[in-house]
Amino acid sequence: MKLPPFEYEAPTTVAEAVDLLAEHGDEASVLAGGQSLIPLLALRLARPAVLIDINGIAELSGMSVIDGQVAIGAMTREYVAEESGTVADTVPLLAAALPLIGHEAIRSRGTIGGSLAHADPAAELPAVARALDAEFVVRGLSGERVIPAAEWFEGYLTTSRRPDELLAEVRFPAAEEDTGVSFHEVARRHGDFAIVGLATSLVLSGGVISDARLALTGVSDVPVRAAAAEELLAGERPSAELFDEAARRATEDLDPPADLHGSSEYRKTVAAAVVRRGLRAAADNARERR
Amino acid sequence: MTDITVRINGAARTGSPEARTTLADFLRDDLELTGTHVGCEHGVCGACTVILDGRAVRSCLMLAVQAAGREVTTIEGLAPDGELSALQQAMWDSHSFQCGYCTPGFVMQATAFLGDHPDASEQEIREALSGNICRCTGYQSIIDGVLLAAQRNRTLRNRELS
Amino acid sequence: MPAIAAERYTGASIKRSEDPRILTGAGRYVDDIKLPGMLHAAFVRSPMAHARVLSVDASAARALPGVVAVLTGADLEAMTVPGPDALMALMGWKGPTPQFTLLATDTVRLVGDPVAVVVAESRYLAEDGCELVEVEYDDLPPVMDAAFALDPGSPPLFANLGDNIARTHSRHEFGDVWRTFANADRVIDFHIDVHRHQNVPMEGRGCVASYDAGSGVMTMHAATQSVHVTRIAVAMRLGMEQDKVRVLAGDIGGSFGLKIGASREELAVAAASRQVARPVKWVEDRGENLTASGQAREESFDVRAAVSNDGALLGLDVKMVVDTGAYPGMGAMVPDIMEAMLPGPYKLAAMGFESTGAITNKASYVAYRGPWASETFVRERVLNLIAKELGLDPVEIRLHNVAPRTDPPAVMITGRPLAGVTSKESLERVAQLVDFPAFRRRQAEARAHGRYLGIGVATFIEAAPGPRSPEGPSGPMGMESMRLRLTEDGIVVLFTGQMPHGQSHQTTLAQIAADEFGVPFEQVRVVVGDSDVVPFGLTGGSRSATMTGGVALHGARQLKAKVLDFAAHLMEASAQDLLITDGNVWVRGDPASAIAVSEVARRAASEEFSADADARLEVEATFDGGEGGWSGGTHCAIVDVDAETGIVKVERYVAAEDCGALINPAVVEGQIRGGIAQGIGAVLLERSAYGEDGSFQSATFMDYLMPTACDVPRIEIEHLETVPLDADVNFRGVGEGGMIVAPPTVVNAIEDALSPFGVRIYEQHLPPARILELIAAASGQLPAASRRAGEEQALPGVGEMVAELLR
Repeated sequence: MKLPPFEYEAPTTVAEAVDLLAEHGDEASVLAGGQSLIPLLALRLARPAVLIDINGIAELSGMSVIDGQVAIGAMTREYVAEESGTVADTVPLLAAALPLIGHEAIRSRGTIGGSLAHADPAAELPAVARALDAEFVVRGLSGERVIPAAEWFEGYLTTSRRPDELLAEVRFPAAEEDTGVSFHEVARRHGDFAIVGLATSLVLSGGVISDARLALTGVSDVPVRAAAAEELLAGERPSAELFDEAARRATEDLDPPADLHGSSEYRKTVAAAVVRRGLRAAADNARERR
Repeated sequence: MTDITVRINGAARTGSPEARTTLADFLRDDLELTGTHVGCEHGVCGACTVILDGRAVRSCLMLAVQAAGREVTTIEGLAPDGELSALQQAMWDSHSFQCGYCTPGFVMQATAFLGDHPDASEQEIREALSGNICRCTGYQSIIDGVLLAAQRNRTLRNRELS
Repeated sequence: MPAIAAERYTGASIKRSEDPRILTGAGRYVDDIKLPGMLHAAFVRSPMAHARVLSVDASAARALPGVVAVLTGADLEAMTVPGPDALMALMGWKGPTPQFTLLATDTVRLVGDPVAVVVAESRYLAEDGCELVEVEYDDLPPVMDAAFALDPGSPPLFANLGDNIARTHSRHEFGDVWRTFANADRVIDFHIDVHRHQNVPMEGRGCVASYDAGSGVMTMHAATQSVHVTRIAVAMRLGMEQDKVRVLAGDIGGSFGLKIGASREELAVAAASRQVARPVKWVEDRGENLTASGQAREESFDVRAAVSNDGALLGLDVKMVVDTGAYPGMGAMVPDIMEAMLPGPYKLAAMGFESTGAITNKASYVAYRGPWASETFVRERVLNLIAKELGLDPVEIRLHNVAPRTDPPAVMITGRPLAGVTSKESLERVAQLVDFPAFRRRQAEARAHGRYLGIGVATFIEAAPGPRSPEGPSGPMGMESMRLRLTEDGIVVLFTGQMPHGQSHQTTLAQIAADEFGVPFEQVRVVVGDSDVVPFGLTGGSRSATMTGGVALHGARQLKAKVLDFAAHLMEASAQDLLITDGNVWVRGDPASAIAVSEVARRAASEEFSADADARLEVEATFDGGEGGWSGGTHCAIVDVDAETGIVKVERYVAAEDCGALINPAVVEGQIRGGIAQGIGAVLLERSAYGEDGSFQSATFMDYLMPTACDVPRIEIEHLETVPLDADVNFRGVGEGGMIVAPPTVVNAIEDALSPFGVRIYEQHLPPARILELIAAASGQLPAASRRAGEEQALPGVGEMVAELLR
């Protein structure tokens, strides 16, 4: 299908963009990488009256490391983050997830901020942000707000960004020493959205797990922290039995959605396998990174 | 309507597309560069792949106006003066394609990929091309074409080095 | 100095003449065509599966700047002549014939049923216009499965039929069915389902219709498998004389059976062009292609097998129901071909076959690469299930039952002789290529580590074109025509009704003609795609290798004889003493006598010779298939099934195939691999999904999943190249075989992988969720009949949302 008509705005500063958002509110959509939004427009599922293209806002690009956090501008292209040595060294979980996002051509245009603002519950980056308690920096009429990941994802394709606010930056904590990470997913084909995916980060020091973070994607309308599993893992030594139990705890209360690719029961079963395998991979990764 | 200028295959091209016109449609309809094909218009099949500022992108997932001031290479730009690129030649030699509809997307994606990963393994090549759909070939002949091109490029580089 | 011996092109993987333009983006597909004054069409489509159309108000759409015309179903009725589907007419269908209007008028019968066409200055504007057409629908209960369709209580989808029967129930018996079953050691029953999936060429349907009011000629730029069938279809529907319609086709982005004749949309576009007296382009987008272009394969089978304890398959009795969708396609005809092919290469003593066709609120059942493929699926599944039941090896049971090659040949219970069939040889070859005992050891070891590997084989034959029929060729498909001409440039031109859409005819036919006539490959040109110029023909049914390869061979021979007769005058020699090699005519033993064939042609055209020299260097050749023959083979797949997630990887795939002599091995292998990829797709990924409520759920590539380079392994192909049957033409078709035999090959492998769980598989579509269900059911945790989990409680996927908005 062809895109429906819309008014097109191409602000060059965040302030301009905020003014436009404030003016048009729900009638406006923000165009970042376009890899999620343009298909919706082409299928005429999204019908914004105004499209605000933020690709020309230079201040939204760039990465910096400040106070143990990696601040990534919202318009940072996924491939730039993928190729970044800084990301590989300081946010290894993000580095692990990025290659799984679609295909290279998608990552040429897709952005870190765009993906997180779109908040597809089967996408990889929301699980990474949730696992690491990333911070979302938005700018609106009333100034800047910093929103923790736990409060960012509200529902299906819905975030706590107010209509007049623009996501400007996402801050990820730098990984501690002895961290091991993995992003493990089950997908129908290479590059597809996850049926179920798991972002795992843990510290493995002296053979003992601490600071385990597990966030599942594809199991709800938002990414889900497996808090019960995280509690179980704290202070324990990795073992198949431990990971089995963690998988059980991570999945027993899940009520995943059903669709053409799998029933709710199926996703729950797969989630358990993903948790087992993801934990094993993260533990291995911790040993390798040493 | 916005007036834009885009460098396409080395030449400055101008047009006045509506904001909603995709880059794919701008190339095909406004500039009559019909080599870039449209297979799904929702970014899955890869037939519309072109190279923008050195990176393979899906032209159906960009607005034409977003390409203003940029460098775009389409399939028509790979063989200036009629001399096929090493990849095109290798694909011809390998019987890579049948109906040809997916071909421009594969050629552009593989061109970009080989440029960055000249020594990729078969598995890496398959993964890199897994975002391009072909209905005719079962992919093996396409992969063979890419592998052959990579091998020939290596031979050339080795010759240049020695 | 001419070369002494001609170069041999046939049998070599000559590089394709198509590729220079394909690889440089210089192909000409229908969407590349731009004509002066051309407009664009888009269709208003029904969002519901079954409804009355109460009103269509196009006034707002007509008022939109850029919209030139809106034609409703009623408007088009007034401009066209009612008639049957072109393919059905071509194949001589005599069963129930639904009456319907070109676009929907009072009833819509599937999601995506076209209700009106908007013609505008651009496709963007046409779609904007579609959104302004207001259609009032009154919902009717949808008929979404064959069982309900066949129930007399279901609402008839076509008023003139009074019921939803697409094909009246029929039963045929071959041999003594009753006695064979009564005397068998065992009778085993199965119910097997094949799911709905579809062609999905990378280029959808489309055309540019250009009506010239001055001459009254309609030129259709089409994507089609036959310019003549399209011409006939357009002329009939538009009430035009056939010679007033000209169909042109350039490059075509795949079809696999979809693009034959003219679809309702293309006919509407032609009528629109005539109405507005300007060219009108319509190219379907992917949503239209998935939703409305047509689908295939949805069939169910009740199978009874009569077997002996030592594994002999004595008889089969099959009841088949085909879900033909709403508007007629070829679904109602498919059971006849299946019945004829079901015995395959095996010795059956008896067979019973009965079938019914059901009309449902779904897209039409169209021809899809090997439309009868389910006969191989059923037979090859049943053999494995019997083998399991009796504790026999799958290769052994096939070797036990396959008819060996004898002279005279064994005859299928349904009548056709298995002349030259090498099924036994292909089974043995596969057993050599794949070390089965080594695999079994690896499989056992893997199982000990919780990994489930499996191996599957399946054997098939394909009538490509089939053995020579004693009654002679029948129908327009029984003969193939070609016109061949030698031009003054020394080019041998072949005019053929073949319409390649990936088959590489411009290369393969040139190879044959070059060899037979004696010119270099570069001096042969194959002309296709102009109904004013080429003879009747159709690319399909895996016919071209034999029929067109054969007519090219014999035609080139006839042309050569004519040229030599004329050259004999010119060179004052006897035609028997003349040779043509490397593009030159010369007297045997006297190389200095050589003159170029171009010179011969120039002299012929100069008319300097008297009437007794036939100076017209052109022939019209026909070919009836010669001795014909079968293609076929045995395929083997090794799969790795993840029993925790249901994900299946095809680790290795081997095909031992026999298509007689190969014209171009690379082309043959490409066809086989492409078909296998579609078969893998069908089993693991592809399903045309409808909800019980009539919704369509796979209208995008996010929901209809296509196999990618990570899903199809390297495919090893071994060519058996049969003993020749014909003195000259031993090429046989391979276009469809891969798609026919790959699904049972892969399913057999998956069942083998899951045998530790006791899984038995009676269906073709095995997505990961289904694999886990089968494991759970076999282990007693779940009832097996929870088919297609997720459908009942489905959240709207992207596809469904799209379907709602396809208005």
